[in-house]
Amino acid sequence: MFVQILFGLSALLTISCVIGVVATRNIMHSCVFLLGTLLGVAGLYATLGADFVAVTQIMVYVGGVVILMLFAVMLTGGKDFVSKAQNLLGLAPTMGNKWTYSLAGLVALVFVLTNVKLLSNIITDAGPKTFGNEMPSTVSQLGHLLVKDHVLAFELSSVLLLGALVGAAIIARPKKKQ
Amino acid sequence: MISLASYLVISLILFVAGITVMVARKNLVAILLGVELVLNAAALNFVAYSRYLANNLDGHIFSLFIIVIAASEAAVGLAIVIRFFQIKDTIHVDEATQLRN
Amino acid sequence: MEYSVGSIAPIFLAPVLAFVINAFFGRRLPRNGDWVAVLGVFISFIFSARIFGDFVFGKFATDYYIHKTFTWLDLSYMDQVWKFDLGIYIDNMAAIMLLMVSGVATLIHLFSTWYMDHDPRHGRFFTFLPLFTSAMLGLVLSDNLLALFMFWEVMGFCSYSLIGIYYEKEEAGDASIKAFMTTRVGDVFLLLGIVAIYMVIGSVTYTDIYAAIAEGKFAGQSVLGIGLATFTGFCLFLGAMGKSAQFPLHVWLPDAMMGPTPGSALIHAATMVAAGVYLSLRMYPLMVAGDLTAFIAIIGAITAFGAATIALVQTDIKAVLAFSTISQLGYMMIGVGVGSYNAAFMHLITHAVFKACLFLSAGSVIHSIHEQQMPKMGGLRKKLPYTFIAMFCCSLAIAGVPFFSGFVSKDRILGDALYWGFMAGQNPMLAIVPILGFAGAFLTAFYMFRMIFLTFFGTPRDQHIYDHAHQEHLSFTSNVPLLILTVFTLGFWYAGSLTGQGIVNVMGAKTEWFKILVEAPQVEKFVGSEAKKTPFIEPTTYTETLPVAVLDGQTGYAGPNPDEHKIHSAHVIGAVASIIIALTGIFLAFLMYVKGAIKPLAPKFPGYVRTLQNRYYFDKVYQDIVIKKGLLGLNRLLAWFDMGIYDRFAVDGWAKVNRVLFRIAKWFDNVVIDAVGVDGAGVAVNLFNLVLRIVQSGKIQFYFIMLIVVLCSYIWTLNF
Repeated sequence: MFVQILFGLSALLTISCVIGVVATRNIMHSCVFLLGTLLGVAGLYATLGADFVAVTQIMVYVGGVVILMLFAVMLTGGKDFVSKAQNLLGLAPTMGNKWTYSLAGLVALVFVLTNVKLLSNIITDAGPKTFGNEMPSTVSQLGHLLVKDHVLAFELSSVLLLGALVGAAIIARPKKKQ
Repeated sequence: MISLASYLVISLILFVAGITVMVARKNLVAILLGVELVLNAAALNFVAYSRYLANNLDGHIFSLFIIVIAASEAAVGLAIVIRFFQIKDTIHVDEATQLRN
Repeated sequence: MEYSVGSIAPIFLAPVLAFVINAFFGRRLPRNGDWVAVLGVFISFIFSARIFGDFVFGKFATDYYIHKTFTWLDLSYMDQVWKFDLGIYIDNMAAIMLLMVSGVATLIHLFSTWYMDHDPRHGRFFTFLPLFTSAMLGLVLSDNLLALFMFWEVMGFCSYSLIGIYYEKEEAGDASIKAFMTTRVGDVFLLLGIVAIYMVIGSVTYTDIYAAIAEGKFAGQSVLGIGLATFTGFCLFLGAMGKSAQFPLHVWLPDAMMGPTPGSALIHAATMVAAGVYLSLRMYPLMVAGDLTAFIAIIGAITAFGAATIALVQTDIKAVLAFSTISQLGYMMIGVGVGSYNAAFMHLITHAVFKACLFLSAGSVIHSIHEQQMPKMGGLRKKLPYTFIAMFCCSLAIAGVPFFSGFVSKDRILGDALYWGFMAGQNPMLAIVPILGFAGAFLTAFYMFRMIFLTFFGTPRDQHIYDHAHQEHLSFTSNVPLLILTVFTLGFWYAGSLTGQGIVNVMGAKTEWFKILVEAPQVEKFVGSEAKKTPFIEPTTYTETLPVAVLDGQTGYAGPNPDEHKIHSAHVIGAVASIIIALTGIFLAFLMYVKGAIKPLAPKFPGYVRTLQNRYYFDKVYQDIVIKKGLLGLNRLLAWFDMGIYDRFAVDGWAKVNRVLFRIAKWFDNVVIDAVGVDGAGVAVNLFNLVLRIVQSGKIQFYFIMLIVVLCSYIWTLNF
């Protein structure tokens, strides 16, 4: 019961905030809507019994990535631009106007239909396999998995993070004034 | 009982929205926003599948890693955006058309 | 002995080379290159002498021959054979003829260097004369009818050129065309006959024809209701009639005297007119197979007698000789028809010698007094002694006086004709042939000596001309050829006995070389002659034991029903009759023209004389009736068709079509190729560029969309 309500609320939050991300002109508003989206997704993780993932999502994504984005927006002026007219013989639609959205929508529809056709068997047969309606804590299991089965990925990701850290720092260094 | 399909539909909406943002917005940072949405959609998919079709936690692991990588990628990407801004004084994506200079 | 093309070819090629040199460089050479022509013909004489020596002194049998062939044209396709071989065929007859032609030609060329010295057409004459000689030699050398026809036509062309050589004279042009057209009538039939033979046998080589006759391929087939052999033989003989000036195609020869006299000597006396007789001799088995011999004999007899009658009233010295030539050719045809093969050929040879001499002498007379009409001559014996000797001896020969060559050959013909007409058991109407023959012999003696007496004896009728006549001196070019030819008019060169069957053996039977060596071809001997053909290029060595000919009572008579004793008696009668007739004729002429004892008969028969002077009105008939009334209408119709219809539609119409085609081509070129092709290529490239420009925009988002689109389509096509 609780799960369904949580699911409903999270889904509602996610979808409405996604629409907001897409539709608003202001970058700042988009970032905030992204924040809301990610919160909703975290809620969805919770309904799936992925407690650790949900919490990690909130900590890293919401508290880290979005903040970072906001910082970047502040640093770069924070404007949204109107696309310059790029009419190439009237053949290709210009970016950032209704045509682009329509094209993207069409692409998405096609993609959806493709996947639905592909996965229709799987989707209709699927039922929750694990835990029936119980959702035990996954933290300890995940911990075991990380250092037993997926230790390579674990280590590599740490290297990756180091690289990202250093790289970002170097790239974004301010230009030396003459 | 919530079916797998609902989770897939949500992740689908997230994915499509992310693509749209990537394609349609002219601000470089907005494009990175779109990337985040796409990655989230994928992660949601993984977890949903691991709950409904598999008997283990592989999907969770994968999602964790997605989060990690997404974060590092966002960091680097934003660093590049800032660099771009330092050079070109704008972050309009149509300015980023040349490979050199 | 070894015979290679190199030892035979110069006979033909040396005069051709002389022709080519004179044609291209004649003007630049000293004396217009007449010595080139003499040299060319002399070279061929030397080579002919070599062959003559081999054949005659080696006494080859009559069926021995050299035969070298090469394939000239091979149009065979799958199992249809269309092959034409050319080659050389030399037997005794050809060897003798080669020597005669080249020898007489050399002497005539030599004489012409003096005769044509100040003539405006000097160079042209010496260009065509060696060409003609080479064509005649080629005709004698050739082994098939096709090559014969080719050389026949070349000779016709040379004759045309030489008759019309003084082209400023309209009569000369007319005469040359008349000669060409008249012989053309014969040539058309000749070609028809050759084609017919080719269709039947698949070959036109003499040996193949003889073999086919022996195998009976000509029997049993008929063309238009006539037997095949008769048809082809008749066609071939028509060609011979045209060329050898037999009745009724004789009309061109008298007019051919418009040409220079030495040319007439060679062409219209010795060689070209003999070509027709040569053809008849070669094709004699075909004539026999076609039962044409009686026809040939009758035509010959009519010609012989008719021409002799016309010659009685001629006043131009060359005209007398022209009709005399026609008459003697008639005798040769009598010989062919009667079956007197050997004698006909001998008469051909002897006639060539003395007729050439007569013409050259006439040329000498004309050259010295610049006048051709005999009523203005007279008493030229003292002024032209050597010419007189030559002409007198040759006239004796032609009249048939014993010990001269003409008697030997003509008498043999007449003897055989006598046998054939009276004793061979044929249609008694055919006796007209020997009767006409003897009558013609009488007339021949008479008019020839009329000519001699009018020209050389008596008092000069035109003193002015006599005084201005050049006195003759013995010179290499003007007299010696005449005298050489005169020497060969003596009889003993040709036969030791005076007449056939050794009636009076003057020098023994061994000297009957002529009679032994030449004989009518016996077709059975030519079956399987394919094997005897040797390739052209390689030298051929004939290693088989050469059969030697012996005199074993051959009569030389190849006609029907030979009976040796009867033939012998016929010859005796004929010999006696000939001698009597000849001497009578000469005596009558003497009486009439020298002594004046008999008044000329001409004014007593004015009608007849006028007929004769108009040459039996043949020219008039041909011109007025046949051409003007008959052919001219057809001519006009064809001309109208040619110019009005064909030219207008086919030629001009074609020009219009071409103009339309040109416009189409121009449009095509401008629009299709230039606009579409050239410019279009540029436009296509531009369009493609535009497409590429869109793709390669540099815009990240565009690349991204491309990526998505491609991915979707990929998945979609893979799954659907």
